[in-house]
Amino acid sequence: MEVDSSDAVIVARVLSGDVEAFATLVARYRDRYARYAFHMLGNREDAEEALQDAFTRAYRSLARCEAPERFGAWLFRILVNRCRTAGARRGRRAKTFVWDDAALLGASHEHPAERSAWREEIERALGRLRAEQREAFLLKYVEEMGYDEMSQLTGVGVSALKMRVMRACDRLRELLSEVHSV
Amino acid sequence: MRNIARELRVPIHVSESFDARVMDAVRALPPHRRTTLWSRLTTPRTRTVRVSPLWWGLAAAGIGVLAALGAIDAYSDVNQAAQPLVAALSAPQKAERPERVQFVLVAPEAKKVAVVGDFNGWDSRHAQYQAQHRGGGVWSVTAAVPVGHHRYSFVVDDSVWVADPYAPRVVDSDYGVANSALVVEHQQ
Repeated sequence: MEVDSSDAVIVARVLSGDVEAFATLVARYRDRYARYAFHMLGNREDAEEALQDAFTRAYRSLARCEAPERFGAWLFRILVNRCRTAGARRGRRAKTFVWDDAALLGASHEHPAERSAWREEIERALGRLRAEQREAFLLKYVEEMGYDEMSQLTGVGVSALKMRVMRACDRLRELLSEVHSV
Repeated sequence: MRNIARELRVPIHVSESFDARVMDAVRALPPHRRTTLWSRLTTPRTRTVRVSPLWWGLAAAGIGVLAALGAIDAYSDVNQAAQPLVAALSAPQKAERPERVQFVLVAPEAKKVAVVGDFNGWDSRHAQYQAQHRGGGVWSVTAAVPVGHHRYSFVVDDSVWVADPYAPRVVDSDYGVANSALVVEHQQ
């Protein structure tokens, strides 16, 4: 696995017929983007399904990646859309939000029980946001994107995104105020 | 909010079998064309296709046929960078069957042209949508397309996606790349 190769080089190898080179891209972006999918969809199973779907769609349409050096950003755009679709589907199916302890593997725990409970409250509150507010909040505060970048990614105007983030913050404060001071 | 964001930035690790599942799914898909790395790196991502006046005439004739048949809603929108030409026409079929649509692309430098769209799973290797070279850089294929609204594009040499400059553009929701819109109606 060529960990040091640039995305553009790996994309070129895949497009030249080297299917196995795609594994490098999978390893490079899976954990980074699993976080977003997990927080958007609320459980590991749906998150991994959306992420896998994003990777396979990216592979199938790799020739359409116009800037291979920015493969990661292109993949993320696909993932954001996959999460929207999966979220809408899940919303029709059932309104459940499952806390997944296994998702916290690898995290440092100063006070495991308290911290786990706090994270659980955050995830529950996040799951109660409207999907578009959750999306905007995660992109802004967790993925640390600027509004212009968010607008380009989502196709939503900057003003609308600012409004969604503001409402998401207000709602999170409201939901969490009963548990902790935010 | 900083406390919340900090908690949510904790890395999430996928299950150990994730890579294998993705690669199994990827291996099941058709591989991309095998060329040398050098040729891939030196192949331009976009290509300018020159259209002679003769082909503009043919294009006008094709569009005229389209308008007469009323089978396809396609409108001109000349692309400044590339100038491929596509025309689609349909022949009357039974109402319950897909309509026959002819796709035409003028691409003198192309070695291979295929049509991809939501009607064939965006599969550039689909046997029924491989265009044949008719001479003079004209590629065409006639294939069955279900009645309804569709998105499509051309794939030149397995690598260059060319939207139809004569059809309305629709932005693909997943990939952010413009495709062409196609409306196929039942023929009476």
